[in-house]
Amino acid sequence: MTGLSRLGAVAQRAALRLVPPGRRDWVEALWAEAPEVPAGPRRLAWRAGGVALMAREALMQRRIGSAMLFAAAAALAAWAAWPGSPAGFASSVDRVDVIVLVLVLAGLPLLGRRGFGPPGRSRTARLLRVGGYAAILALIPAKNVIEQVLDAPPRGGTELRLYRLIAGSGFGNSWKSEIVFLVVMALYAAAILWVTAQRSGIAPATLAVGTGAGIAVGAVLYAIVPLGVSNAATNPWLPGSDSDALVALAWILVLLGPVGAGIVAYRRQAARASASQPGSASQPDLGSQPGSAARQSVAAALLTSLVSALLAIAAGSGTIAAMMKAAWLRNWLYHGHLLAGVGGLRLLLRNDPAALAYSHQITAATDAPPFLIMCVAFPLIALGLTGLGVLIARAEAAAGHAGPGHGSGAPLGPGPAPDRAAGAGGSAPALG
Amino acid sequence: MATRSGFSAQTLSVLAALHDEPSQWRHGYAMATQTGLKSGTLYPILIRLADRGLVEGRWQDEPRPGRPRRRLYRLTADGLAAARSEAALAGAGRTVRPGARAARGGPAAVLRAARGGAAVLMPAVSQ
Repeated sequence: MTGLSRLGAVAQRAALRLVPPGRRDWVEALWAEAPEVPAGPRRLAWRAGGVALMAREALMQRRIGSAMLFAAAAALAAWAAWPGSPAGFASSVDRVDVIVLVLVLAGLPLLGRRGFGPPGRSRTARLLRVGGYAAILALIPAKNVIEQVLDAPPRGGTELRLYRLIAGSGFGNSWKSEIVFLVVMALYAAAILWVTAQRSGIAPATLAVGTGAGIAVGAVLYAIVPLGVSNAATNPWLPGSDSDALVALAWILVLLGPVGAGIVAYRRQAARASASQPGSASQPDLGSQPGSAARQSVAAALLTSLVSALLAIAAGSGTIAAMMKAAWLRNWLYHGHLLAGVGGLRLLLRNDPAALAYSHQITAATDAPPFLIMCVAFPLIALGLTGLGVLIARAEAAAGHAGPGHGSGAPLGPGPAPDRAAGAGGSAPALG
Repeated sequence: MATRSGFSAQTLSVLAALHDEPSQWRHGYAMATQTGLKSGTLYPILIRLADRGLVEGRWQDEPRPGRPRRRLYRLTADGLAAARSEAALAGAGRTVRPGARAARGGPAAVLRAARGGAAVLMPAVSQ
């Protein structure tokens, strides 16, 4: 085999990977006929037909459609996020944001396919991937609008005093936090690709539980702190929005949401394990198989935290960014609401509508960066709590094996074990 | 130009080629030569027919030395029935009409199928 033909064979095998597995036989069959075709233009035409067939089959599959959807969304995000003026540190950061995140989001599915296997085909998995990517892409322009405001101190007057009072050093030279942001977003995208991949062994029901809980927690968080994370609720519409109690409620939800989702996923998988071993008298090993209850539990908890954090920061940052651009939205959000939390502010703002508007802008812009802390903290909290729960569950399961209660319905973990006798009788709860 | 059953003139020519000797397994290149279709047209047709359960395929058992294994095709029972039904419709002159697309310099076999599907398919029906 000559070097050229060897290169051609390698290119052919690589190109074949673009074709759905069920169609590769056809392309290979066409290639296999090529040596029978007389050499010259006719054989070339035959091979060209093979290339056309590959392109056709590759284009017909969903992967190409997804790639085109992503390209359109990424182009839209880049267009909206690309800073107009090259001056300023924020502009440099924002351009790096756009380029790196688009490249990372485009490249991760390709790497993920090698590492995690093909993406899951369930509707929840597809929605999760599309929603996760949409949230990250939406975050890019929102974050950039906020950073442009933070990096542009007013030239003087009351607004400069407000800027110094509220924003302090402003955006600053924060490459480190920028790198953290990019790494965190890449990890979020990778985590979403992993949980929705076929090889991860995460059941569609677990994805549904985690996603549903995440959306619920994220929606509550957004309702309480739509204008950034602060020690007080930033929703100007909430009565007593300066109250720390609502923020405390949000944090309790952040803790309970993933744990609750983890317990639900654990129980579902435990029930499924029991139902699949109707004749077995021994305790199913819930922690040792792919798709095990422990894995489902951790995945559901992790997913809850990821979805809630992503939803809250994308929606929150989007609201803040929209508020910067649209006066009507700012006026609607701050319906006569005065910022009383910062000392001396009332005096500055008295009878000065422009300063009042700016105070709202700069306060929200200052409260937005701590969203990044949420992104880092939520999954860590979820993993810590759920990991602990799984360890306890496995220890209890092991004790159930050794103890007198073995085989008689000993607790399996965070919740009571499903009734094994009932499972054997076919009356286990319906599993999605 | 599609027939009432949804087959294009090219598809009819492939059905006809496979119907000539329904029990025989045929190579893709042999069918391409017989129908005059290019590989980029023939194989999508075969794929569609296989998806509809009208054509079945298998890999060659013993390839010639130094050559890759070739894939062989033939009509299934459903394919045979569809081909016969198509030929009957064509024989009644109700389905296949001269098509502008085929008339624009398409392969001779396609033209033959488009202009007179009965001429192509009817001999097979009598077998």
